[in-house]
Amino acid sequence: MDVSEQLSLSSFDEEIEPFLAETSELVQKRRSQGRIIFDRFMRNYTAVGGAAFLILLFIFCFVGPYIWHVNPNTVNVLHVKETLANPSLTHPFGTDDVGRDQLARAMAGGQVSLIVGLLSMLIGIGIGTLIGALAGFYGGWIDNVLMRITDVVLAVPLYLLLFVLSAAFSDGKPQTVILIIAFFSWTYAARLIRGEFLALKEREFVMAARTIGANNFRLMFRHILPNAAGPIIVNATLLVGANIITESVLSYFGFGVQPPNASWGTMIATGDSFFDVDPWLVFIPGLLIFATVLSFNLMGDGLRDALDPYMTER
Amino acid sequence: MDFPPGDFLILGCVCPLVIVTPEVSMGRYVIRRILQAIPLLLLVSIFMFALIHLMPGGPDQVIFNPHLSAAARAQMRVRFGLDDPVPIQYLKWLRNALTGDFGFSFTTNLPVLTVLGQRFPATLELFGSALIFALIFAILLGVVAGVRQRSITDYTLTTVSYFGISMPVFLFALFGQYIFAVALHWLPASGITSVGYTLAPFDAFVDGVWHLILPMMVLSILFIAAWSRYLRSTMIDVVKQDYMRTARAKGVSPLGVLMRHAMRNALIPLVTVVTLDFGSIAGGAVITETIFSWPGMGQLFYQSLEARDYPILLAMLTLSAFFVVAFNLLADILYGVLDPRIRYA
Repeated sequence: MDVSEQLSLSSFDEEIEPFLAETSELVQKRRSQGRIIFDRFMRNYTAVGGAAFLILLFIFCFVGPYIWHVNPNTVNVLHVKETLANPSLTHPFGTDDVGRDQLARAMAGGQVSLIVGLLSMLIGIGIGTLIGALAGFYGGWIDNVLMRITDVVLAVPLYLLLFVLSAAFSDGKPQTVILIIAFFSWTYAARLIRGEFLALKEREFVMAARTIGANNFRLMFRHILPNAAGPIIVNATLLVGANIITESVLSYFGFGVQPPNASWGTMIATGDSFFDVDPWLVFIPGLLIFATVLSFNLMGDGLRDALDPYMTER
Repeated sequence: MDFPPGDFLILGCVCPLVIVTPEVSMGRYVIRRILQAIPLLLLVSIFMFALIHLMPGGPDQVIFNPHLSAAARAQMRVRFGLDDPVPIQYLKWLRNALTGDFGFSFTTNLPVLTVLGQRFPATLELFGSALIFALIFAILLGVVAGVRQRSITDYTLTTVSYFGISMPVFLFALFGQYIFAVALHWLPASGITSVGYTLAPFDAFVDGVWHLILPMMVLSILFIAAWSRYLRSTMIDVVKQDYMRTARAKGVSPLGVLMRHAMRNALIPLVTVVTLDFGSIAGGAVITETIFSWPGMGQLFYQSLEARDYPILLAMLTLSAFFVVAFNLLADILYGVLDPRIRYA
């Protein structure tokens, strides 16, 4: 936020090419739009920190199991010392009540949590884009019907409906949890994209495309949608974090991912019963969730600033 | 409500009033909005009714005592109105619901509204205190951070709000329980009163407050995070306005400018946001109440879900939607009343 505010104070040309005056003429080259956005993002240290942490986290969850060869589901109840152990060299994250290694479980659970967050975001944004684009582009009764459906989903407090749906239909498999969460994450995207479409469809470039014979489908997805990409990307990034939280809440209350599949949420749910004996069982997955969601939020805000420097401080 | 971060992002654009010129009187605007809300609520109730009845293990198969005779079972089905086809059941339910009769709870056999009425005071106590607590802190933090950008308060606020939106509520609750109840023994871990004691009125009050602190703090963190950040951004806008400079030039003291000129304008949008959030009271704070065994409506919802008490679930789903819609309307009206520049379209 710091940098982007300085940018909005400086003149427009300087914002696009900050070092233009100092660069010798032969080397001068205009940066592409993507490059400008990338450079702007890289100057936002908290956002870069979030992105870097996420990369490390993905390596931890997806490459980690190849280095840490411990089966996350190996039960070891024969030795009392092996159950509910505090972090040590043999078990860096400790063990749970049946002696399973928490580091291996954190990796496996992280895979589930991240995949649930990412896939439910993708499906949610997909549905939201389709509904928002149709509503904003066609207007009229299509808009009315689609927006009323959106209102219905938005009118009931999220967790009440999520709990009911999960209790009724969820079999505890990650796929089902993804679908249920995705079903509730399209509403804001739909409203956002509808708004963008309403504004963009009146612009000259859309009319120009129409005059050279582009059909509606092409207008919507080749001409208007790329121009609405900024807000969608920001919304998508923040939505991953939100969906990871939702998943953990569902799993904590027993409506989400069920054993034998584990996620960070289920790990907390198991550890909760032993909270007073061994708080690590809750602290470690809890901090992992927190750090992950925080990173997605920081990155999302950084992307927002980079994509739209005039909308800062909001 | 323990709202998801999605709400937090969208708070900035919750302002469905369009500023369009042909001005409509407020009465007509309100009537039109109410007329729009009716089909919406009907749709919600149809959707919820269908959901509840199509659920595997729906009310039709609810675990009546398996030893019941066929005749007794049929009698039960009549009592709970399960012998009609689903659309007829819906119409009957709707007719009764409109007169405030939501049927009988499967588990306690009491009228649903009576059960909800028993639970409402606890939720109101928790929600009300959390809202007031959050409002005080959010205003303090938001105003100072907005006026003094990049000060310590500003950075504190940013940190707090990132914490607030990045940590699931149940984690706040668990960590709070561990730190303040298990480790430090300062506060009771759960419940609304100490069980098994008969206390003098004053002691009972102190005991209640003692139990309230932890859940209230947990619930208010989200509100503080959302509201203070919202207030900060409106404050930044307001401080830049010309009338602020004019007021200062006239010789109004800095505090006077802040209180009389800046705050009054910056708080207007916050009123609408707070109203919107208060609308979620009917759903209760499912997560907070369940973790702290707080006997409010959120916990009732969770318990009813576990027990498959469908009449209660259905009533709570539709009532909470009704509250959300009603408070949405109230927020819009308040916004127009407080800020005369807003036109009703």
